[in-house]
Amino acid sequence: MKIKKGKFFPKGVHVPDNKSWSKDVPIEVMEAPDIVCIGLQQHIGRPSVPVVGPGDEVLCGQLIAKEGGYIGANVYSSVSGKVTGIEKRPGVNGVPAEYIVIENDHHDRTMTLPPLPDREPATIKARIREAGIVGMGGAGFPTEVKLSPKTPVDSLVINAAECEPYLTCDYRLMVEKTDEVAQGIRLLAKALGVEKIFVGIEKNKPDAIELFSRYDDMQVVSLKKAYPMGSEKHLIYSCTGRKVPCGKLPADAGCVVQNVATAFAVYEAVEKDKPLYERVMTVSGCGAVHHKNLLVRTGTPFSALRENCGVKDDVTMFVSGGPMMGPAMASTDVYSTKTTSGFLMMLPEEIDVSFPTPCINCGACADACPMNLAPMQIDFYTQSGQYDLAAKYGGVKDCISCGTCAYVCPAKRALTQSIALCKQKLAQAGGKK
Amino acid sequence: MNTATVQISGSPHIRRKRTTKGIMLDVLIALLPATIAGLVYFGGRAAVTIVLSLFGAVATEFVWLLCRKTSIKEILKQFDFTSLVTGLLLALTLPPLAYEYFYIPLLSSVFAIGVAKMLFGGTGKNIVNPAIAGRVFAFISFQSPMVSGWLAPNFGRIGGVDAVSAATPLTAMLGEGLGSVGISNVDLLLGTGVLGCIGETCKVALLVGFVYLIVRRVVKWQWPIIYVAVTGLLSCALGGSMSYFLPSILSGGLILGAIFMATDYVTSPNNKWACFVYYVVLGVITALLRFGTKIEVVSFAILLMNLTVPLFNMWIRPRPFGSKPVGTVVKDFFVGLKGKLTKKKEEESK
Repeated sequence: MKIKKGKFFPKGVHVPDNKSWSKDVPIEVMEAPDIVCIGLQQHIGRPSVPVVGPGDEVLCGQLIAKEGGYIGANVYSSVSGKVTGIEKRPGVNGVPAEYIVIENDHHDRTMTLPPLPDREPATIKARIREAGIVGMGGAGFPTEVKLSPKTPVDSLVINAAECEPYLTCDYRLMVEKTDEVAQGIRLLAKALGVEKIFVGIEKNKPDAIELFSRYDDMQVVSLKKAYPMGSEKHLIYSCTGRKVPCGKLPADAGCVVQNVATAFAVYEAVEKDKPLYERVMTVSGCGAVHHKNLLVRTGTPFSALRENCGVKDDVTMFVSGGPMMGPAMASTDVYSTKTTSGFLMMLPEEIDVSFPTPCINCGACADACPMNLAPMQIDFYTQSGQYDLAAKYGGVKDCISCGTCAYVCPAKRALTQSIALCKQKLAQAGGKK
Repeated sequence: MNTATVQISGSPHIRRKRTTKGIMLDVLIALLPATIAGLVYFGGRAAVTIVLSLFGAVATEFVWLLCRKTSIKEILKQFDFTSLVTGLLLALTLPPLAYEYFYIPLLSSVFAIGVAKMLFGGTGKNIVNPAIAGRVFAFISFQSPMVSGWLAPNFGRIGGVDAVSAATPLTAMLGEGLGSVGISNVDLLLGTGVLGCIGETCKVALLVGFVYLIVRRVVKWQWPIIYVAVTGLLSCALGGSMSYFLPSILSGGLILGAIFMATDYVTSPNNKWACFVYYVVLGVITALLRFGTKIEVVSFAILLMNLTVPLFNMWIRPRPFGSKPVGTVVKDFFVGLKGKLTKKKEEESK
């Protein structure tokens, strides 16, 4: 099908993407580590409930934790071996969470889900839920819930923008597993019951655009290279020209957005009967000796990735995910999840940890804000504790936490954090009422 | 690898290279042509004024911070060139004063930094532009030297005469009409033979700085142009002739004020529509006050409008992406109004 040009949205920033290091490196299967720690909270929603206990023998692909509620996800073992315990360990952001620790026996005995009788929408949805698939772009919202919108939808938008710098895992998937991803997209559309499929790809990936334009049943949209192009609201606007109303979900604009990696996971779950226990991750950053795209088992410690790719001596920061939104980790003894899309080892020259200076009201944040908010006002009122005024004059409720404001700020203010604090306080205040 | 060196900070971990210091350096560079033009035109007197003003501004900041018990190391780390910008701008808005008035630039820069900036909390917290506050302070406190201290440039038609107490082209125009300006628009543009302040005489030098600021994306080109254009057009309307346009924008401190003072980040609104209204109102006030008072009022107009900036930021807010279109909002308002009116009528008829 002909390539469509994405609708222009005037805000956002151009971030140097630094993808060239890992762009042309084929996906490599990483050897399973000796110990995996699989988190019970890898998604948005309720934590999963373990169904195995210490001492149990598990197979690779065996259910080890069941969903804890409607918005929840099943968790599968990513190695075969023995469960040694269910313990609290620090997560990527330093907050302790429950993990199932499994010792790998390196026999790699696998089990799969039972084959599906048909490809009806309800069957596909049930399989997506069963396989524990969540949004793999980063948010980790259970995919099955997203596929059951409350308002009627007519389009499926595939997020292949990959606007975060450094990350190339979605790009490699699109280039190497084009047919599989396309089949996954078709299954998603079928489950959703829509005909129109848009695949939004940023212009800096011309070969991916080329590959996907072969298919007649999906419309490839070539997007402007801007951060945050991969934000749901902006992706929908660029692909379909619709605006998601403030405070509403994409479904209210008749769209559902899914990530490329999610589509691939859906393909594997439906056609290969394989639950979600591994994903492609990018290991990059100036501090990495080898830049790689790795197929990593869920629960792999970052230290194993570090050893696999090599690390330079003067690395000062480890980031899980992309550099714009991903948290920096205090140590590499934390574990990857279903939603971890990258592991970055950064040198001092590429990161900026300058201390904030006073705001000079230059308006750069407001000029760049993709949601057209006033981040400097939010920061100002949050610093003085007037959270409702921050909502009134800054529009904090519509913030998508993309970090664009803090990226452009010449005074290096911690705008993202101050907005996060404000949101949290407002949510608490709202909860009290 | 030594794990002790691992840093953590909030996302985003990569940031644009631009800093406050860099922006201020850009402004200083943009002011250089005007400064050089001032030195060429007015010689030693201008040099003394500039140096004293810069010294006063920086020294006040340092002394203030020392009194607040900040260590020298910390002060140097914090130093972001803002006081240099203030000092230089202030000097450029002062007339080339005779040597015996050396205390004027010194006192006004101390006032600018000490009272207008540091007293309110330092960089980014001032409610009026410090340089303008300094100029207005000098203008009000030392009226006789500030009014009679004018000196014609080294070359041009009035060259050679020391300290002329003639009227500036602007006051002549405002006072006695267009015919009494006596200087061509080209002379006004180049500043040859024009009485004026150090920095505002040579308009070409200011425009060079303006182009530099636009190229470096420090200021947006629209705002100074809107301000100048509104002032010029309203002057035409008030003067009753289109030939007022060029003399009114080229004389006085309008161009200097529009490019470097009104666009000061701290004291201008921070979103597109608020800025638009702000600069239009600023232009209107400047033209009205000029014709009302018959003196140069750009600094007073900007000072006045600086105080209203928080209101602009509160009243005119950007609409988040995905808000209802303005048309729908207006329509809804009128539909609601109509509903209310019909309801009222029904009640009345009952």
